[in-house]
Amino acid sequence: MIDVLNEYGLAFLYSDGYRLTGLVITLWLTVISVFAGFALALPMSMALVSNRAWVRLPVRFYCLILCGTPLYLQLMTIYVGVYGLQLVRDTPVLAAIFKDGMHCAPIAFALNSAAYTSIIFASALRGVPYGEIEAARACGLSRRLVWTRIVWPRALRSAIPAYSNEVIFVLHATSLASAVTVKDIMAIARDASAATYKSFEAFGIAAAIYLSLSFALLACFRRLETRLTIHLRRPGVQMTVPIARPLPASSHRMNRP
Amino acid sequence: MNAQSMPKAYLRVEGLHKQYGARTVLDGVSLSAQKGDVLSIIGASGSGKSTLLRCINMLENPSRGEVWIDGEKIELRRVNPETLVPSSERQLQRIRSRMSMVFQQFNLWPHMTVLQNLIEGPLHVKKVAKETAVATSQAMLKKVGLFGMEDRYPAFLSGGQQQRVAIARALCMEPDVMLFDEPTSALDPELVGEVLDVMKQLAAEGRTMIVVTHEMAFAREASSRVVFLHNGQIEEEGPPSEVFGEPKSARLVQFLARCN
Repeated sequence: MIDVLNEYGLAFLYSDGYRLTGLVITLWLTVISVFAGFALALPMSMALVSNRAWVRLPVRFYCLILCGTPLYLQLMTIYVGVYGLQLVRDTPVLAAIFKDGMHCAPIAFALNSAAYTSIIFASALRGVPYGEIEAARACGLSRRLVWTRIVWPRALRSAIPAYSNEVIFVLHATSLASAVTVKDIMAIARDASAATYKSFEAFGIAAAIYLSLSFALLACFRRLETRLTIHLRRPGVQMTVPIARPLPASSHRMNRP
Repeated sequence: MNAQSMPKAYLRVEGLHKQYGARTVLDGVSLSAQKGDVLSIIGASGSGKSTLLRCINMLENPSRGEVWIDGEKIELRRVNPETLVPSSERQLQRIRSRMSMVFQQFNLWPHMTVLQNLIEGPLHVKKVAKETAVATSQAMLKKVGLFGMEDRYPAFLSGGQQQRVAIARALCMEPDVMLFDEPTSALDPELVGEVLDVMKQLAAEGRTMIVVTHEMAFAREASSRVVFLHNGQIEEEGPPSEVFGEPKSARLVQFLARCN
């Protein structure tokens, strides 16, 4: 254990001496994929709840494909498949993008996460009571303001628990990037295992890092949820505006669904 | 129809039809209200009361007919044989901001405090300054008897309090007409009184109100005119003393007998 750490500790965290590796790469992949997936999911989930079939169906089809095939296959399709196209190899910009696993991995993860996230958001959007939307329309709010002031703030709050799962799923999914030459935590663990034959220790260290990241993310989302759902909690106690009021530790557990 | 030829009414509904497939919900309803009128719309469930009210601010799209407010007609355009939709979103928003509505289910925005609920419309639709909006909402909260509740969230208020907040929210828009859609029907019996008291007070202030209600006592005491709707048509209409005192139509007699 100690010698694996001595030899690969820095590589697990940020550098193998030549380039960035390990935790830094995993975090980079996660952040990029989650943010891009989120940004794509906002309009896509609106399309999924649209009354117009020509808006809704293409996005539904996209989600069906992306949620119905393995992420590994999607990653390979982009990394090997797309680069295999003559057109892509002949276009310098596209070739530069799709040649590099460091580009293909976040693209694949973001596209995949966008599909799952838009399904989560769409069901949250459907859950916003129609009466509240009517109340907003009835006082003259524009369609745009109804979305930004009423519907999204309501929907995103209710989507937090499901969305936090999705973010953790993306974190775990980034381990697939090691298959396309990206030196993330998983790749370092594999290198360490192959070089030292101490496979259990090598993968154990990787597991410990992923585990702590997952818990950190969970804790962040829990805090976020606590702050944003103050309007629903602790019945009977007077609620006042300062939202960031510290809450007793017990109330976290009580209020988990 | 020529606007000039009609008597000047503040709010005017002209030949409103509403069709859901084969079902006719509104069958040519026309009514008008002067400034300061309190119009109570009564009738059995399914007679089209709520649909009529919701067609006035276009939450429901009529199949035929016109709505005029203060000499301005809501521009409509036909999208299919049984639906007219507002053709100008701009105009619709402007008119809606002058006709606030109080719903049966309150429909407060639960993620906002009482104060935030009240200033939302004034701030984002009427673009008033925040201090002005807050001052107005304090005054309106006082009017509905909820002063000091501005930092509460709706989920922690009783039904009666929520409905009074909803009325305050409607008042904060400083509307020319207030639409009430069965405002007491979702309340426990002991909470109905507090809401009706607020509404009577508003009526006494000379506000123009269109009230769909099952509260016959309110219709009798507070309204200037009562409209009895039956199967999507106006069966009888007049001052409360006539409608309740000497009902002419057999259906109204029957309806009133069942209400008391």
